[in-house]
Amino acid sequence: MRSIPTRRDVRAAACIGLVVTAAAGCHEQLAAPIPARSDDSAAPRPGGTLHLASLADVRTLDPAGPLDALSGEAIHLIFAGLVDYDQEARVVPDLADHWDVDDDGRTVRFTLRRGVVMHDGTELTADDVKRSVERSLHPSTPNPNTSYFANIDGYEAYASRGADHLRGVAVEGPYVVSFHLAAADATFLPLLAMLTLRPTCRSATDRYADTWLPCGAGPFKLEADGWQRGTSLRLVRHSMYFRSGLPYLDAVEWTYGMQFLAQRFRFEQGELDMTHDLTQSDLARFVADERWRPYGAAEADTSIFGESMNTRLPPFDNVEIRRAVAAAIDRDHYRMIKPANMTPLSQVIPPAVPGYDPTFEGQRYDYAAALEHMRAAGYPFDPATGRGGWPHPVEYLLYDQGVVLYTAQVLQQELAKIGIHIALKVVSWPAFLAMRTDASRAGMSLGSWGMDYPDPSTFFEPLFASAALAGESTYSSAFYSNPRLDDLLNRARREGDPASRARLYGEANAIVCSDAPWAFTFGFHWFDLRQPYVRGFAPHPVWLRDVSRVWLDRASSGAGR
Amino acid sequence: MLDPRARARLAHDRAALTGAAIVAALLLFVLVGPLVVRHGPLESDFVRGVSPAAMPVGPRAEFPLGTDRMFRDVLSRLASAGRLSLFIALSATSIAAALGAVVGVVSGWYEGSRVRVPWPAIAGCVAAFAALALGHPAVAAVALAAACFGALARRFGGPRMDIDGLLMRVVDVMLAFPFLLLVMAIGAAIDRTSAPTILVTLGLTGWLGIARVLRAKTIQVRALEYIEASRALGQSTARVMLKHVLPNIAGSLVVTSTVLVAQMIVADSVLSYLGVGVSPPTPTWGRMVYEGQDYYLAAPWIVAAPAAAILLAVWGFNMLGEGLRDALDPNET
Repeated sequence: MRSIPTRRDVRAAACIGLVVTAAAGCHEQLAAPIPARSDDSAAPRPGGTLHLASLADVRTLDPAGPLDALSGEAIHLIFAGLVDYDQEARVVPDLADHWDVDDDGRTVRFTLRRGVVMHDGTELTADDVKRSVERSLHPSTPNPNTSYFANIDGYEAYASRGADHLRGVAVEGPYVVSFHLAAADATFLPLLAMLTLRPTCRSATDRYADTWLPCGAGPFKLEADGWQRGTSLRLVRHSMYFRSGLPYLDAVEWTYGMQFLAQRFRFEQGELDMTHDLTQSDLARFVADERWRPYGAAEADTSIFGESMNTRLPPFDNVEIRRAVAAAIDRDHYRMIKPANMTPLSQVIPPAVPGYDPTFEGQRYDYAAALEHMRAAGYPFDPATGRGGWPHPVEYLLYDQGVVLYTAQVLQQELAKIGIHIALKVVSWPAFLAMRTDASRAGMSLGSWGMDYPDPSTFFEPLFASAALAGESTYSSAFYSNPRLDDLLNRARREGDPASRARLYGEANAIVCSDAPWAFTFGFHWFDLRQPYVRGFAPHPVWLRDVSRVWLDRASSGAGR
Repeated sequence: MLDPRARARLAHDRAALTGAAIVAALLLFVLVGPLVVRHGPLESDFVRGVSPAAMPVGPRAEFPLGTDRMFRDVLSRLASAGRLSLFIALSATSIAAALGAVVGVVSGWYEGSRVRVPWPAIAGCVAAFAALALGHPAVAAVALAAACFGALARRFGGPRMDIDGLLMRVVDVMLAFPFLLLVMAIGAAIDRTSAPTILVTLGLTGWLGIARVLRAKTIQVRALEYIEASRALGQSTARVMLKHVLPNIAGSLVVTSTVLVAQMIVADSVLSYLGVGVSPPTPTWGRMVYEGQDYYLAAPWIVAAPAAAILLAVWGFNMLGEGLRDALDPNET
């Protein structure tokens, strides 16, 4: 007890409360979109600064560092790769002029474009490519994606410090570099199109350092003092970019740590040109507003969420219980928590990733079947009396942010209907990462995975392959292992024929959905809103909010705002 | 505790009566509400609780206060949350009042004097409590035995201490310690914050003001003639404190405790709002405000209902406390 409020204090508090309550009851209108200066047929016009914002902070701007989606948004603009993804998620040449594959698919030889100027003014050569690859894959680099490239010849010796250089990356001329693989690998090119191995300037040196300022060959470069960690980032146009005429924008500027509501108001006022950090209620209003509808677009569904069940602990060591869980969840109930961002999901592969089969039923809501699975598991549940079911509470591990706090509560309700009672254990994100990798601790946990590259293997291998269980920091929170699935995944990885690969991944999909180490629940996608004067933007199937071809056509204060 | 004159003053204090009415209504609501509402506080209604625009529905016959972002009945959650909030607030206040009374009376009684402190006994009791909490009953028994021995040994001498000064410095230090940090630390230590954790923590950090007030009252009462007479008659210190001092400061204790209930409600709501309160899906008023804030423009009832409940509860307990203060000690107003 610190002080006793006076009556005046109390009355003032009451008045404030009433005013706030009354104000809350007033529905205000969304501001009108700010029109573009010219019509849709206008040619792109260079200039201007695009203003973006985010609630979160960017973790790193080094492609060899621990990337996340937000980092990727900027890194993709700063660093160009040998290859990239086009608007259909196909691998296309970027810094490479072309590539050849020989030696039965075990050698991929890239011929670089001539005259590519990096941000420090030097010309890109094959030596830069080799140096950047070795820097990224060196064991001292905090790169969580190195295992993706274990198929490069000599990787093991290099990663264990048994060799100074990576044997499988060979410079065959100033503009020719080849990658030798231990075995043919259909995923190599999609992997190479990721951000991790993108060439860096020579200032990056041979080894990773957290203090290095990003420098690459992408369309934008970091402005001097343009990165205020935790606060803002400003990239400016790379005038020597190898694609003539691009980019159109003079600069792209991010403000980090901006609350959702502040983003909404600043977006409406035109202080932000695009946004996707919106609350569900605001998102619903924008989507429902005829004036704004043409300027909203969903990003690709490239992530999966599910309920991960520890197959080594009771009750989920019983496959019938897992199947009961998978059948008891009505995915539409999850989606209703945030409809504009969530897509019901019933299989391993999300809709925007190659290999997704919309005709495959996968796991589906079937309450009667769920009860039958409970009976088959030996724990029949009678919904009329509430008797039966699994007799102990099951701990469910999740982190304390975002939509998952609500989906977990939906899960509680759904599973209570089949006699499984969930106790939520809400922890911080770092604690969540640490605890879910302990096979003896988490019975059930939130499962989520975002696409690293557009291929089914990006989901199957880290989450469900037995090989993923090796090491201390496994992502396989279900601790699932199935030799038949492993065999299918190995064959699919080597298979070069797209149709055969699709068939193999289809079989793998069916196995995982039937064994149900996860109950797949929803895919999450961002919903981008832009002002009408932001032109040339289209959601990219791989890159989050790709603004490399955006231009500004603002009527009121011109493009050069 | 309330003599006829105090009762009369209270009966003519409209603010106090309003406060009492609000508190009574609140108690009735949280006790009876969960039994009569049509929906469970944890049950989502994905059919009737959802508007065509996939938003929560507003107040209507089916859902008198609308539904929340998970399409649960706000009225039902409000009642359940109120039950928990009041339970936590009243329990924490009881702990704080007991602790504050002991510290305040002891401190006020020994103000200005130095006494022999049974350190071995106190240290033994603390060690026994800690050992018991850590699951070592054998060690606890040994520590308790040591405490008894220490209490006996005190009779044979020991240093004299300014116990009042010591206790008030402890109060100063604890007033400077951010209780939110303490709650989070305790929550992290025991892996999960629950209602008992919250109420014990609030209780253990909320007694400081009460101790200060009761110390001052005890110093006043100690100087009265009948206390001197009791001591002259040979009554023990403990007996004088319990039989003569405590009844005379009970009014102040009731007043400060009533106001403290309001502050505990706010503290519990703040903790829940910040996510360090009772874990979801258990409803709390603070959590309801947190969950509704994103919707305050589109579905204002979600945040308005718990905010109004917090406001009314705090207002009611404060007015009642003020009224009791006016009734019991009119000279102070």
